[in-house]
Amino acid sequence: MPELEQRPKVTVEDLLRLKRAERPAPEFWGNFEREMRQKQLTALLEKRPWWQEIPQFIARRAYLPVGATAILAFTLVSVKYYAPAQLAQVENPPAGSPVTVDHEVTAPVAPVSSPLVNRTESVASVAEDTVVASTAPVSSTASTDVVELMPLLVAPRAEETPSARLLAANLTRLEQSDADFGHNVLNARLSAPAREQIAAPAAEELASVPTNSTRRNRLLAQYGGRQLNPEPAPPAVVRERLARRLGDTDTSDRSNRLARGIDTFSTPMPQIVALRF
Amino acid sequence: MNLSKVFTKAIISSPERQQEADADFAVVKQVQTGDVAAFDKLILKYRERVFGVVYNLTANREDASDLTQDAFIKAFQSINRFQGHCSFFTWLYRIAVNTTLSHLRKNRLRSFFSLEKLHEDGTNAEVLEQLTDKKGADRDTYLQELKEKLNEALQKLSIPHRTVITLFEIDGLSHSEIAEVMGCSEGTVRSRLHYAKQFLQGELGKYLRS
Repeated sequence: MPELEQRPKVTVEDLLRLKRAERPAPEFWGNFEREMRQKQLTALLEKRPWWQEIPQFIARRAYLPVGATAILAFTLVSVKYYAPAQLAQVENPPAGSPVTVDHEVTAPVAPVSSPLVNRTESVASVAEDTVVASTAPVSSTASTDVVELMPLLVAPRAEETPSARLLAANLTRLEQSDADFGHNVLNARLSAPAREQIAAPAAEELASVPTNSTRRNRLLAQYGGRQLNPEPAPPAVVRERLARRLGDTDTSDRSNRLARGIDTFSTPMPQIVALRF
Repeated sequence: MNLSKVFTKAIISSPERQQEADADFAVVKQVQTGDVAAFDKLILKYRERVFGVVYNLTANREDASDLTQDAFIKAFQSINRFQGHCSFFTWLYRIAVNTTLSHLRKNRLRSFFSLEKLHEDGTNAEVLEQLTDKKGADRDTYLQELKEKLNEALQKLSIPHRTVITLFEIDGLSHSEIAEVMGCSEGTVRSRLHYAKQFLQGELGKYLRS
């Protein structure tokens, strides 16, 4: 026992250090070098399959301008999603230029939302059957806001559905009566005989309206009297301003009447317009 | 100084290792520029160390020879991908260890020893003296038995534990180098090392004295 206690300590590390002494003989390395040379030459001559070249190719090309690729992709996506709106804006004419607008087109999107329109018609079919505005011959000095909206507005073909036919007929009636009325009003403002000619039937119509309100009668009488009073011809500047105001009023009223006329097809539009004036 | 140099210096702590890494990188540059014969210098320099790692992992000299050659061939084929982010030595070790681990996983059931002769030189004579007081044939028999028991105990370890204790105790790599070679954290390396030592103490208790 004392001998065992005197013997030095042996650990796992010491045993593992013995493994370093397990080395091959020098002749082993001669054989190793010969085999190694053969394998190296084989590896040099051997053509690697193409799929093993893919990772290297990708790694080499990874330094390509990734930013440029991202910008290109972003540009493509932007063009894809925003191109229709931009093109629509490009198609719009300049604000100050005269615009030719097809009057069929001025029946805007309302047909789809109108209660008189057959709701079973799908929006897709309406969109398919529509034509883009700005093709027709009637010239108009509409305001800029209205003009900008025109190319985007679409109208259904009148001959396709009963509701569309009804809408087209009403619009035609409205345009005809509206044009005559505007022309007459303009003439009435400028010349006294014409005013009298127009005011006479209007006064008759007003007189024929039954009412119990004396105040209303008084106002109507004042209105009629003022219209019938002869006035001196206005100067040219006033006449021009008046004509412009009438033109603006005519445009805005026309759009209002169109919207109201679409909602109430059976209403006799010319009479309403006459009463309002 | 580029980023790869800084990174390499952070990994390689000792100045000797740094000089060695710089020298290796210069040779690698020669190979990358087309001087294929320069790769022989790297083979001559590292073949014994790589063979030692593979041999201690496989405990079979023929397999170790083939796997060492395969590791060098793979390194030669992939030499253009080496960019100096780590030392060539670490990179070559990683290739050798991965090749060996792949071989061991494929041939998990087929394992037999083909051991090298134990060379008694000055470095291990003292340990051998401590282990045995026998003389002559008895001593040789005892050492052969010890060698086989040691290899058996190592082969009972799992592959990661065997790799860690081989690289640390036999090849003398640091924890950080082992972590880089094995692709794990230093904590994992320390944990595996501790477990492997405990296991070997249990297996080789007959030969240990405390």
